[in-house]
Amino acid sequence: MKNLVRELRSERGLSQGQLAQEMDVSRQTINSIEQDRYTPSLPLAIALARFFGKTVEEVFDANDSR
Amino acid sequence: MPTTAASKSARPWYRSRWFIPLFSLAMGFVFLGIEWSNGHLTRGLEELAIMAAVGALFAFGGRSETIRGLRGDGSDERFRMIDRNATLLAGFVLIVWVIVAFLVEIAQNRSGSPYALMGAVAGLVYIAAIVWQRLRG
Repeated sequence: MKNLVRELRSERGLSQGQLAQEMDVSRQTINSIEQDRYTPSLPLAIALARFFGKTVEEVFDANDSR
Repeated sequence: MPTTAASKSARPWYRSRWFIPLFSLAMGFVFLGIEWSNGHLTRGLEELAIMAAVGALFAFGGRSETIRGLRGDGSDERFRMIDRNATLLAGFVLIVWVIVAFLVEIAQNRSGSPYALMGAVAGLVYIAAIVWQRLRG
């Protein structure tokens, strides 16, 4: 699923590892989400959106799901 | 609903970093005991060494995502999905193996044992799991 996680993370100057720590997941999971290789669970998608101060729809593009 | 995914912090006891290493070592001692009681001390020691090596690999496997995910302390929702898919594949291969072995057995005019029982157990567990999960919602 297309998403803006990489852009939002970069804007805040965070590394993948730091965001992973905030989300309590592995760095590889953040990388997979950014590469559109893994669609996060609803709780993780909500947690990411809340962390960036956005809605889930603003972060994830449901119209581009694989 | 938690504000973060909280997928790694609430780990069950069997997802402790030391569970698989200690389990491997314990199994090594079980193998040693059985082999020793059958008069095969050397073979038992070899099996203990192998299981200890497996345990050490898991305990001191560095930062490998695979090792950390399998032993539990690096497991999160993505790794659990990978784990489920890998288990599904292993189960599928095992069931195909059992069916083929059963067919080969009966084709050779034998009873099909123990593959018939193994297949029956797998089938019943599958049906029970379907019913259980459907009832749980």
